[in-house]
Amino acid sequence: MDKFMEMLENVLMPIAEKLNNNRYLSALRNGFMVALPLIIFGSIFVVIANLPFLDRVLSEEGYAAYQNALGPASAATLSIMGLFVIIGIGYKMVEGRGGEAIYGGVVAIASFLVLTPQVLEETSGVIPTSSLGAQGMFLGIFTAFISAELYQLFVRKNLTIKMPDGVPSAVSRSFSALIPVTLTLTIFLAVRVLFSFTGFETVQNFIYTLVQQPLTALGSGLPATLVAVLLIQVFWFFGLHGQIIVNSVFDPIWYSLNDENLAAFQSGEELPHIVTKQFIDTFIVGIGGSGMTLSVIFVIFIVAKSRQMRELGKLGGPSGIFNVNEPLIFGLPIIMNPLVLIPWLLAPVVVAAVTYFAMSTGFAPRPAGVIVPWTTPALLSGYLATGNNLMGAVMQLINMAIVFVIWLPFIKLLDKQYYGEELTAAEPA
Amino acid sequence: MVRILLACSSGMSTSLLVQKMEAEAKERGLDAEIWAVAQDKAPEDMKKADVLLIGPQMRFMKKKFAVTADEVGIPLDIIDPVSYGRVDGKAVLDKALELIENN
Repeated sequence: MDKFMEMLENVLMPIAEKLNNNRYLSALRNGFMVALPLIIFGSIFVVIANLPFLDRVLSEEGYAAYQNALGPASAATLSIMGLFVIIGIGYKMVEGRGGEAIYGGVVAIASFLVLTPQVLEETSGVIPTSSLGAQGMFLGIFTAFISAELYQLFVRKNLTIKMPDGVPSAVSRSFSALIPVTLTLTIFLAVRVLFSFTGFETVQNFIYTLVQQPLTALGSGLPATLVAVLLIQVFWFFGLHGQIIVNSVFDPIWYSLNDENLAAFQSGEELPHIVTKQFIDTFIVGIGGSGMTLSVIFVIFIVAKSRQMRELGKLGGPSGIFNVNEPLIFGLPIIMNPLVLIPWLLAPVVVAAVTYFAMSTGFAPRPAGVIVPWTTPALLSGYLATGNNLMGAVMQLINMAIVFVIWLPFIKLLDKQYYGEELTAAEPA
Repeated sequence: MVRILLACSSGMSTSLLVQKMEAEAKERGLDAEIWAVAQDKAPEDMKKADVLLIGPQMRFMKKKFAVTADEVGIPLDIIDPVSYGRVDGKAVLDKALELIENN
């Protein structure tokens, strides 16, 4: 058993290392981090704009005026989050290469806008906000990667305008970004022109149809979601931060799905997706942390007799409420502990499937596209993530009960073992 | 004055440990500055630190951080999983001081 575990760890460690430290994936993760404060700002105002009962207290006109007044908060942030992710990625990519990062940010956004059709139906001279949100997410990410790399490549080639002697060096330096930016944007312009001759007409269309749609369709399905959830658990079992590793691949998909739900929520339409960023963060992970360990802490409080377990419950309880569960993962321990492997892998998978079916049958509300910070305590997070819907909290409560039942026998077993050890140790020799 | 930097994915769970380590340092009358950061901020903060300790769940960062740690001339290591699970401020503080001493 030990040999096998060691072998598996030797396989997983390099994967974790590659995924976490890959230049593109870490720029992507950091790009989302740049956008996060804005995303959360927008989410707060979606929550406030949709407070319960207001539609009954206020007149129809008053309620519409109230929603209109708050609308720009999310329209300027959450709905066009792609914009900030692109700037963040471009910035972080060039920063990682040791260049002048701000140019990475602007060249990325300019390249993206060069590729974006600036027309909406009959009106020209506009940038459709949808292309800055969910729809342009993948194109934006690729564009940011490529433009930042090209920019930095041209900078390294040291193509600068040679000024005659006597021109102050500050003047020639002020042109230092000019040539790399010009070359990069010219390439993107050429790409745009080339695509206009194809059946796709725009690069936007091309990426959306050939990459984004298939990937998000796959990512919104239950099978891919179960695989993602299971992978998170497997990595954690070996003491590797599964969430951060899996997120670096799935975040673009989950955030795109999220924004599509938000757009539908705000226009009062039926929410298209079940699986979104918040499906994972709120209903699978957001109940005490990866593995939904808040329920495990409840089990410990109710059945554990051993001192070791009770201490662990006290230690892990307060942080568990805010979804920080490292004390429990390393303390129980969950890592490399064959006794808890079954509930550790099984519980989140069962919960994901149950939540999926509950949402597809309409028993529980689907995530409304609001992004709730991951440290938000369970029940509150379920309520907020579903657009102020109490049934969201009820769904979390059901999930907690499922995890509780699955873990109960295993904690009893482990506790019995610890309790026995403590008794033996206490006996006078 | 010793300056101890802890890093994990977002600096959350390591900050739990920071509180315990600070309490332990205070008890010993040790002048210490202890803080936790997210992985992206670690290379920058290493310049202000005497030692870097990495949360065991992010141990795959060690190789990458080792390059920067080498440049700024500070030791680094991964926090022992058992001490991490127990949020054992005493053991981790000892470890940090030992690393600084042997550097």
